[in-house]
Amino acid sequence: MLTIAALTFKEVVRRRILLVTIVLAVAFLSLYGTGVHYGYKDMAGSSGIGPMQALIAPMFLSIGLYFGSFIIAFLAVMAAVGSISGEIENGVIYAIVPRPLKRLDIILGKFIGYGLMLSVFASIFYVAVLLIVHYNTGLNAPVRVSAIGLFCLQPVILLALTMFGTTFLSTLANGIGSFMLYAVGVVGGMLEQIGHLAQSQVLVNIGIVSSLVMPADSVYRKIVYTLLSAPGASFSSLMLGPFGSVSEPSVWMLVYTGFYVLFFLAMAIKIFSRRDI
Amino acid sequence: MIIEIDNLTKMYGKKAGCWEINLSVRGGQIFGFLGPNGAGKSTLVKMLVGLLFPTSGTARILGKPLGNLEIRRKVGFLPENFRYQDWLTGEELLVFHASLYKMSRAEKALRVPAVLKLVGLGDKGKQKVGSYSKGMQQRVGLACALLPDPELIFLDEPTSALDPLGRREVRQIMLELRDRGKTVFLNSHLLSEIEMICDRVAIINKGRIVTEGALRELLAGAVEVEMQVEGLSPPMLDELSALCGSFKAEGSLIRLSLRNKGDIPALAEAVVRNGGKLFSLKSRQNSLEDLFIDLVKVGDEEC
Repeated sequence: MLTIAALTFKEVVRRRILLVTIVLAVAFLSLYGTGVHYGYKDMAGSSGIGPMQALIAPMFLSIGLYFGSFIIAFLAVMAAVGSISGEIENGVIYAIVPRPLKRLDIILGKFIGYGLMLSVFASIFYVAVLLIVHYNTGLNAPVRVSAIGLFCLQPVILLALTMFGTTFLSTLANGIGSFMLYAVGVVGGMLEQIGHLAQSQVLVNIGIVSSLVMPADSVYRKIVYTLLSAPGASFSSLMLGPFGSVSEPSVWMLVYTGFYVLFFLAMAIKIFSRRDI
Repeated sequence: MIIEIDNLTKMYGKKAGCWEINLSVRGGQIFGFLGPNGAGKSTLVKMLVGLLFPTSGTARILGKPLGNLEIRRKVGFLPENFRYQDWLTGEELLVFHASLYKMSRAEKALRVPAVLKLVGLGDKGKQKVGSYSKGMQQRVGLACALLPDPELIFLDEPTSALDPLGRREVRQIMLELRDRGKTVFLNSHLLSEIEMICDRVAIINKGRIVTEGALRELLAGAVEVEMQVEGLSPPMLDELSALCGSFKAEGSLIRLSLRNKGDIPALAEAVVRNGGKLFSLKSRQNSLEDLFIDLVKVGDEEC
């Protein structure tokens, strides 16, 4: 299992997947940092806008985390989308499966390899966003290990789902399916927030159902709520609109998410262990 | 027995990839597995190495049922549609496969350079696999299969991408393995190659084994004979017919097939005894190609 995990990690580095992602992430963070810097500075120079500054800083933070989640989710799907199907299509796996290892080891090894890479990347990204906002606006959002853990959990959810798909779907079909499901979660999460603002129970219910189908967005909401809307916070999450979270997803949602990851991972192992290659 | 296969069947929907295959392979030999394209050669090998799951039947490799991980440490496999991680160097690829075989660091240090040298890539280990030619990729695949010094090695079309020199080298490697008591299961449709090195062969057509046995015995049977005879008479033709079953006569040229080489003198006697003049008699031992084509043709006609 660890041999496969190490090879997977090495592949991400050698094939420059990580390098391209880091370069693009740096480009995103540079643009984001410039936007936060000048947005906040110019606002400070305007007369009569002082109270707005207190509200705009958390908005900058939530936008950074939101689009950061987006980028990392894409990385998770793109990295794992062909991890089994692609290797069957190009024949690489023919020389691996007959070796003295269980097929379970192949799935878990790849999951650990990609998961480790995504977690390292997500942690750095999270801290970078917090530092950019802190140094430019003075916002003191707490750097909590639990929040970093949740930020890392988001791509892991996508990873488990994508690894499930790659055991029986073609690479293209799996990529489309995974992105569509991610989109369902994102759109559902936004509708839920709008539902809270508009006091529409139907929209809230759509959000709840979509978060059960794809819980990545609810994990994001929990991070935002923990950082910005916890008791003692000086601003209302209502001001964050669709990027914020009016209510905190419960701990049971996290338990559900844990089972969600385990379920799809177990299904990936089950299907791959019985699949003819 | 190194391989024991009992009624192994693989169905793809309603189509049989392999149908009730029964086969036993003793140790210390090169076993040739022949068949036309799509006959089921690779299907059988894939079942034996764990890539495909049989629909029914059983098989034992080195005395253990299919899928036994301990046994897989003693089995090498070179797939037909080989492709390796092109972003690794040859050495790194072998170290990765050595790790999959759970070899110790000391074993890796010993075996990796040894197998690279054996397949003729001793000085190419630092190059990326992606920069290898197709023939070199096949060689590095063979090196992966040889890595654990396996008791049994499955080679699925191992020389398909090699030039004549490379083919000869691979044949030499197979012969050396046999001389060391290893068993080689050679899957190929290159009949000349099989004829040159195999001890026993099985021929598969449309998913069924159509013949199996020692190569020498299979080829010892039929002999093709061509005779130039003058003075053909009905009694002579009757006698020839009794000896060989059927024959073709075009003018003074007679072509027939004998079951045994020992019947040739009786053939000449029959001609002379019946007043014929025998000007020439040429015999030719059946080749594996003749046998293969006959068996595959018969199978096709029966279907």
